[in-house]
Amino acid sequence: MKAIKGILLTCDSAVKQILLTMNEKESFIIEDLDDFHLVIKADEEYRVRRELETELEKNTYSLEG
Amino acid sequence: MSSTKAAKGRDAKTPAEHVPHPLLPFLQSQSQNTLTRLYQRPSACLSIFRLLGPLERQLVMNLLWLESAIPSLTMAAWVTPEGKILYDSSLLVLSRLHIVTNLLNPATKQSPKLNLNTTFKTSFRQAITGGGTSGSFGVPAAKDDKHPSSGVEALDAFAVERWETILHYMVSSGTGQVLAKPSAGVLYLLQRSRLMATSHGSALQITSAGFQFLLHSPHDQLWQLLLQYLHMAEERQMDLVEVLSFLFMLSTMDLGRVRNCNVEYSAESLSDTQKAMLEDLRDYGLIWQRKASSRRFSPTRLSTTLTSSLPPLPTSASTGTGTQDQGFIVLETNYRLYAYTDNPLQTAVLNLFAALKYRFQNLVVGAVTRDSVRKALANGITADQIISYLAAHAHPQMRKNNPLIPVTVQDQIRLWELERNRLKSEEGYLYTAFASQADYEYVLNYAKQLGVVVWESPAKRCFFGSLEGHANIRGFIERRTGGGGGG
Amino acid sequence: MDTASHLSVILDLSPTQWHLSSLPSNTHPLSVASFLSQLLAFLNSHVAIKHENSLAVFGALPGKSVMLYASTETGSESTELADSNTYLPFKLVDATVVERIMDELDALGDPEEEEPIALVGALTKSLCYINRVMSPSTSSAPGGGTSEDQTTLTDPRILILSVSPDLSTSYIPIMNSIFSAQKLKVTIDVCKVYGEDTVFLQQAAHLTGGSYIYLERRDALLQYLIMSNLPPPPLRLLLSVPTQDKIDFRAACFCHKNIIDVGFVCSVCLSIFCQPIPVCSTCRTKFPMKTLRRLNEAMPPGARNPAGTPSRATPAPTASGRGTPAPGGPGRGAPVPSGSGRGTPTPGGPGRGGSNGSSRPPGGSSITAGLANNLR
Repeated sequence: MKAIKGILLTCDSAVKQILLTMNEKESFIIEDLDDFHLVIKADEEYRVRRELETELEKNTYSLEG
Repeated sequence: MSSTKAAKGRDAKTPAEHVPHPLLPFLQSQSQNTLTRLYQRPSACLSIFRLLGPLERQLVMNLLWLESAIPSLTMAAWVTPEGKILYDSSLLVLSRLHIVTNLLNPATKQSPKLNLNTTFKTSFRQAITGGGTSGSFGVPAAKDDKHPSSGVEALDAFAVERWETILHYMVSSGTGQVLAKPSAGVLYLLQRSRLMATSHGSALQITSAGFQFLLHSPHDQLWQLLLQYLHMAEERQMDLVEVLSFLFMLSTMDLGRVRNCNVEYSAESLSDTQKAMLEDLRDYGLIWQRKASSRRFSPTRLSTTLTSSLPPLPTSASTGTGTQDQGFIVLETNYRLYAYTDNPLQTAVLNLFAALKYRFQNLVVGAVTRDSVRKALANGITADQIISYLAAHAHPQMRKNNPLIPVTVQDQIRLWELERNRLKSEEGYLYTAFASQADYEYVLNYAKQLGVVVWESPAKRCFFGSLEGHANIRGFIERRTGGGGGG
Repeated sequence: MDTASHLSVILDLSPTQWHLSSLPSNTHPLSVASFLSQLLAFLNSHVAIKHENSLAVFGALPGKSVMLYASTETGSESTELADSNTYLPFKLVDATVVERIMDELDALGDPEEEEPIALVGALTKSLCYINRVMSPSTSSAPGGGTSEDQTTLTDPRILILSVSPDLSTSYIPIMNSIFSAQKLKVTIDVCKVYGEDTVFLQQAAHLTGGSYIYLERRDALLQYLIMSNLPPPPLRLLLSVPTQDKIDFRAACFCHKNIIDVGFVCSVCLSIFCQPIPVCSTCRTKFPMKTLRRLNEAMPPGARNPAGTPSRATPAPTASGRGTPAPGGPGRGAPVPSGSGRGTPTPGGPGRGGSNGSSRPPGGSSITAGLANNLR
């Protein structure tokens, strides 16, 4: 039995796919639990959120943009 | 859609919609002794009475002129089946406020009897019939021929100026503009109520609670600040009864009823605590004094509407047409927003969640965009607050629409809010690689008892527990492995 | 629910009736003075309930009706009224009402014969007043619903404190007032302070969804008023107020203004007559002689009166039962509610014919015979 410190991310499957792609560049996922849950390294959360944000922004379109 | 539900609720006038006044919980938390002292003043009784819900008020009235207690069964017989729940909760509120005494005599096993608190009954009767010597409605000052009292317009202008200074200071604190600062007392109050905060000794910055505060109605804002003031009064060793009764006295005072000129009240008969309050309340715009040392004061509309639902700031001084109580926002289905206002405060508040494009003399044009809403959400404002602000200040022209706020815009604002929450995170420990299913279930059960399990998968034989449960779970496993030798 | 409400109070100020009411021979004598003191406490209670509540008081005097007080019209010189012991609005109401009543009663002088009470005038004035104060918010702003009309004047009510008996000549104007009240969504409450039940006011309360109480313990007037007339209509869904079990639906005939048990209804305009007539006096419709004769024969023996003045209707044997819970007086302190507070009014009674099928209110259930179907 072992205990691993980390952060549990709950997300929809689309976001999870983006996270998996991001993980290929720079690994941060400890465990891929199921379709909606991932455990990542505790100190990576901020960076992951920021990168995810930029990634999602690419998919939104505005009149001005 | 929720808007249609709300509209239906308004038509049906279901009494359950009544939201208790924010002051009532505060009063309920006070000791019976404090409340009884407060109830000695007729004006306080009248004001508290007005803060109660409609059914509670009627119950008090029903009991007011009875000489003796009546069996609660008798009173309950008047309640219709639909009103039962509300009736019970009303009685509970009244007894928590120590207004109604619910005499339960276990010895005789009779049904409980209802009666009004004797002090409350005496004072409230006096309030209704007049007379007495309490002087709790404020002592009017003798006419001062040298300084004719200022008109209601001047008082309104003063109150609006004070109030908007506070709000404007809050809204612009993040933008680096230099504006008229409210007094130190006000700043301290804002800081204590966590509407503004300093970080590392820098200037005061508005907090997310502060942003939410800005979207409330003036009446709610006023009470929110006054509640904070009451909490502070306890710390400052001020007599709470004196503070409260002064506020209630102000709320029953007269503004412009008589020949459109206000009555000035004498400060002579006030207690020392209340005299000290004059300065604070002047800063908030609740009262007006010719000069700080003046021995007379006039309440402004902010204070005389404390116990009513009338708008405390009926006409903003800078918007001559009185658009504030009329509503000034037109929102179209294409997210465009037209605000008929020249009030810098209103413009600044709009700027919190809308992208403003053009400004004219009496009109501001902008749009509700994804970016502007996300900025607001980042500041801690919720989608519901934005929507309710738009609804509360909708232009009369817009009120013809049903639903009031275009559904597209409403839904989109909510979707933008949801979009921000695509990723939820929880720090903790992943427990995995259990030796056996029994082991796994044993530990999992323990963790469940602690209530720390966030996620589990029997198939993978692992679970995720939150951070605070880890010490306990580790201890549990160590005890087990130490004692049983397994694992 | 928690909106401001408007209350118009109509005081029946008939000197004769009040004199009779104060005679010690009554079980509970009630003089004008003690009536007024209880009334003022009630008015203040209404003002106390909510800051925005509005109030108007009308007086019905012999031959004239006056507005005694209106909260929208501020008093003239009242700076002296400011008093540290009394809430100013209360003082304004009390002082104005008492002063105006005294003025009006003094002005009455001492006529040999008292003119009938102008109840209809007061009722109409109060309806006009309600219409006036309600309309600005609906007509001025093109947008209609401003924030203002949410706070002002919802659920207008009229409370009639009556001491005089029915005036059968005023049947038609009272019915017309009731229809206006229905249209304005005004609830009419009636409290019969002294004297017999009034048929017309019972109908007024019933048709507008108000409460009608017959004051049984007149020393407990204030308690009655507070329990049954203070709650605004939305609150009455939760706290029942007394209504009637049985209502006297009798109408007054158009020809002699008598309250009748059996009447004849014009099939064209629904005018009510106490005896068959050849030509309807309202719409000039002519009825055939044959049916006229037949109807004359069908008339109940007591009511047949060729002189044209039918015998005065006997007091309704079944009507006017009361479903009023009796709130206890201040002295006794025990409201006695009764389940019948919500009793459904049963129209008419046995032997008085069922519904006449007409949905028009003047055609109450008591009118059995009609001139209907007599036209060719």
